[in-house]
Amino acid sequence: MKEISDLNFSENVKYTKDHEWAKLSKDIVTIGLSDYAQDQLGEIVFVELPEVGDIFTKGDEFGSVESVKAVSEVYLPVSGEVVEINAALEDNPELVNEDCYEGGWLIRLKPDDLSELDDLMDKAAYLDMLKG
Amino acid sequence: MPLWYETGVKNEHLAVLKSAGIFDTSHMACIFVGGKDAFALLNYCFTRQLSSLVPGRCVYGAFLDKKGCCIDDAIVYKFSGTRFLVCVNAGMGGVIAKHLESQSKAMDLEISDLSGKVAKMDIQGKNSAKILSRLLKNPDLVFGKMPYFSFKGSLSHGVLSEGTNQEEVTLLDGTPILLSRSGYTGEFGFEIFLDPAAILSLWKDTLIAGAPFGITACGLGARDSLRTGACLPLSHQDIGPWKFSNHPWEFALPYTLDNKGFSKDFLGAKALAPDKDDKFIYPFVGQTLRKVTAGDATRVLDETQENIGRVLTCATDMGIGLLGDKIISINTPGLPLDLKITGISCGFVMVSKPLEPGSKLTLNEGKRSIDVTVATDIRPDRTARMKLDNFI
Repeated sequence: MKEISDLNFSENVKYTKDHEWAKLSKDIVTIGLSDYAQDQLGEIVFVELPEVGDIFTKGDEFGSVESVKAVSEVYLPVSGEVVEINAALEDNPELVNEDCYEGGWLIRLKPDDLSELDDLMDKAAYLDMLKG
Repeated sequence: MPLWYETGVKNEHLAVLKSAGIFDTSHMACIFVGGKDAFALLNYCFTRQLSSLVPGRCVYGAFLDKKGCCIDDAIVYKFSGTRFLVCVNAGMGGVIAKHLESQSKAMDLEISDLSGKVAKMDIQGKNSAKILSRLLKNPDLVFGKMPYFSFKGSLSHGVLSEGTNQEEVTLLDGTPILLSRSGYTGEFGFEIFLDPAAILSLWKDTLIAGAPFGITACGLGARDSLRTGACLPLSHQDIGPWKFSNHPWEFALPYTLDNKGFSKDFLGAKALAPDKDDKFIYPFVGQTLRKVTAGDATRVLDETQENIGRVLTCATDMGIGLLGDKIISINTPGLPLDLKITGISCGFVMVSKPLEPGSKLTLNEGKRSIDVTVATDIRPDRTARMKLDNFI
């Protein structure tokens, strides 16, 4: 596993304490895992995602990510309805390792309450949290 | 040995099934047992019948305590009637040496724990011999005839410096090695014992010689998934402080041809008689690559949803898949070209009642469940036992 200084942290997303990221674009929030999360998990072999149309509240478990090492639940940073899931992950779950902020996105949501994004951390705050 | 190297567990696992991989196994321990009574001691303490073992051959078995529980599994190498090498698991050199000493009252022998004095690396996969040929001075002689579970060569000094009467095996720079046609992956390959001073350059030279074959350094993750797919136990996980019976490795016990008894008396033999508290260990195969965590957190549910046991090992063999009900591997001949093999979970369960192959179980860990089937074997079309001619 890498040192924190060798990991990548996108400027354009907000982070959760469970190492997910959320990005708002044209009223849709895209959710993924941070570089720290995928590095800790190791090689990802399966991603379990919800169905389009599923409705969740912030903090709900919306799926799981299974690596060679372990299975990790993933939690929603914001409430909303699932409008899209990343179908590419079915055949290529390793996209989460290789391209966690872009090609490895997990789901897209129509958010209920945009103010929930304000509770999330920016890159600097997330890095502080990681460095402990 | 790390969990994995740069390319990751899946790539390392597949590299061994397709071509070649190397494993740094110097953590394993060796014990030399020599002297007039060496055979008598080992034949009493080890579960395999050693009277038919000839010099230059080795055999897999276990050391049991008087309750019939497994202390460790091992491979015993016969150099001569008075010189044997015992290769055990990491950290077990002292334990097994002491155990042998405790059984050797008034015996004429020498027991030397060689932990830390012998380095080891494994090369496994169908291109192992081709790659090794580029590193040995006398490959034609070495590979002229080398059956499964035979060995040749010796170390440069110490108790293992006299080999058997067979050919020497030396690297290009003259370093002698002990080369064993064995391994822990179920695939064709070798274990190499040598002086610790020489292992680093051999490791590097093997990666260079193997580069045209796509050789990969493999870590503990791939070692575990490969051995599970090969239906091999991990000491202190699948075999351990419980009765060494009712499991997939009963070939390690010296049953007579009619399976009605043992062909010799050995330490622990009497305790192996069946009793009502016996447990049963079976291999299982899942439906997808998804796993559960082995251990107390996972329940093993039978078809009536009763919890009948625990999971000892659960790993994913990335090189196997299911074609209907049949397990296939990337090395299974005649598969449709467009068939994608993405891996299947597999492992061993210990349950409280006997089960037939084909029995369905559910392994349940919290909210996760996977459906598995009791099997008699896991990865098919393994190459370990195939004739060496196929690989030169």
